[in-house]
Amino acid sequence: MYHKLHIDTMRTKLEIIFITISFIFTLLLFTVIGSLFIIISPLDVIKSFFSYEMLYAMQLTITTSLISAALVMLFAIPTAYSLSRYSFPLKTIIRSILAIPMALPEIVLGIAILVLFSPSLLGEPLKKLGITIIFTTTGIIVAQFFVAIPYAIRILYSIFNYVNKRYEFVSRSLGYSEFETLKNVTFPLAKNGILAAGIVALARCIGTFAAVLFVAGGTYLKTETLSIALYLNLSFGNINMAITAGIILVLISFVAIVILEKYAKETYM
Amino acid sequence: MFLEVQNLSVDLGEFHLKDVSLEMEKNEYLVVIGPTGSGKSVLLETIAGFYRPRYGKIYLQGSNITNLTPEKRGISIVYQDYMLFPNMSVFDNIAYGLKKKTDDRTIIENKVLDMAKVLKIGHLLDRDPETLSGGEKQRTAIARSLIVEPHLLLMDEPFSALDVNTQSYMTDLIKKAIEDYETTCIHVSHNFNDVWSLAEQVAVMKDGVILQRGIVTDVFSKPSYDFVADFVGVQNVFEGEVLGREKGVTSVKLKNGQTVYSSESYYSDSKKVMVAIRPENIIFSNETFISSVRNQINGTIDEIIQVGPVVWIEVKVGDITFKGMLTPSSCEKLGIKTGKEIYISFKSINVKIIDGEESYNSV
Repeated sequence: MYHKLHIDTMRTKLEIIFITISFIFTLLLFTVIGSLFIIISPLDVIKSFFSYEMLYAMQLTITTSLISAALVMLFAIPTAYSLSRYSFPLKTIIRSILAIPMALPEIVLGIAILVLFSPSLLGEPLKKLGITIIFTTTGIIVAQFFVAIPYAIRILYSIFNYVNKRYEFVSRSLGYSEFETLKNVTFPLAKNGILAAGIVALARCIGTFAAVLFVAGGTYLKTETLSIALYLNLSFGNINMAITAGIILVLISFVAIVILEKYAKETYM
Repeated sequence: MFLEVQNLSVDLGEFHLKDVSLEMEKNEYLVVIGPTGSGKSVLLETIAGFYRPRYGKIYLQGSNITNLTPEKRGISIVYQDYMLFPNMSVFDNIAYGLKKKTDDRTIIENKVLDMAKVLKIGHLLDRDPETLSGGEKQRTAIARSLIVEPHLLLMDEPFSALDVNTQSYMTDLIKKAIEDYETTCIHVSHNFNDVWSLAEQVAVMKDGVILQRGIVTDVFSKPSYDFVADFVGVQNVFEGEVLGREKGVTSVKLKNGQTVYSSESYYSDSKKVMVAIRPENIIFSNETFISSVRNQINGTIDEIIQVGPVVWIEVKVGDITFKGMLTPSSCEKLGIKTGKEIYISFKSINVKIIDGEESYNSV
């Protein structure tokens, strides 16, 4: 008892200042996010939530995000694994290139994708194959994919580094092939990190705005994801709808964070 | 030849192997010793197939396995930090390799139980590997590797993470397990106790090169490089036969008929042992003297070699030679010269007994 009391009274100045800053900042953030919840009445939120437009946006956001997050994982797992395990030419450069989109403003990524898939570049040849990217839901998936993949690669890369390759060596020496070893040893040991990467990718896909706006165009009830719905309604002055979209996005992020904290804390954070 | 490694060169940047050649007979136990970073682990992992050599070939039982994938080699590996799969129980860890070979649950279960009995981990099979002690983890790892009856067992510093008491217990257990399963073994270590207690053959590695390879007694008594001498410490190593043990002292009769006394006990059934005395523990005198020193032997100075600040003196007693060291000033004081008669003395506590039938037989 005495010991504990002693420690409490012995807080250093630095400790006190830093802890206070943490508290002030947390309060600030909480107020910022919380303001969304108090500005309009719960009834308006519920009304907007069940409006046709909002349900459409939610359904579109969730469908496209699930597809893009799945695609992200499909590409990110082998990429991150090879970066972690194998040595190959240009590895350092490749790793840097893969990280660029994280530092790049989403809007730049959006315009770059728009240019790439414009008729003068890839747009025309793809159209002949029956694929249109620009101003379509496919475009939403493409935009979300590029925004989210560097985050997934980064998390998976560190988780694969964290799984000692000697586990794999032991498994191989006991008669299992590379694929069987991935399935039996590597993936089970990396599962929390893989889950974390999946959740972060999904959250990034759901929240993608500028890239989606540029590539898919923010078309009412066509390419209207939740963040686009927020933007469109705000510009039309439909505050209730805009804020409800914001609240839904906050709740989705909150759920993602809870899952991350619960399952993936140790390996990812 | 059972295992033949020919001119193996590997470059992993930080670690490398240079032109390593190695031969092993079936059921041989080879300990590779060397300082950290000498390439011991890389050697094992290349033999196991995890790294592709730049040059060189590896033959196992006559067939070239250099380009074979690890899973097709029949070579198991045990690491210092055990590498037990944390997502499986002790039972499932041990059964892992077996499950690849057979689907028959009864066979798997029986084999795991037998193996667990040999390594005394039968009571741990349901446990989570993370709850085991270091020694238990290592026994599980060895069980997992041996159960698939590998052609070759590779052990990378298997005892280094264990405390001294556990180490000697493990040594005995593993010796027995390896004999039971008739396994050929390469064991990498920086610890000489592993060499004395397990090896028939030893190889000394430095900077990716095998400097010396041979029977333990030869390498330790006749190091062929300065580094080997420095690293293993030149030893006076002699064969002998235990006469008996009385009042805490073991008497060993050497080949030349000389009896030496050691405070160490011996455990082997065979009375054939080796004794080792470090040169720095040998005291030179012109006459006998009365003291607590148990061993006092009369001999003739055979050779005097000055190396830097130290003079190495070789004393012939019958047909064996003891090596000791002196400072030049002590040499002068004692009037050391070739052909002179001299007494060498050493305490029984400094006489190490190495009781290995295998080591003796292979000499």
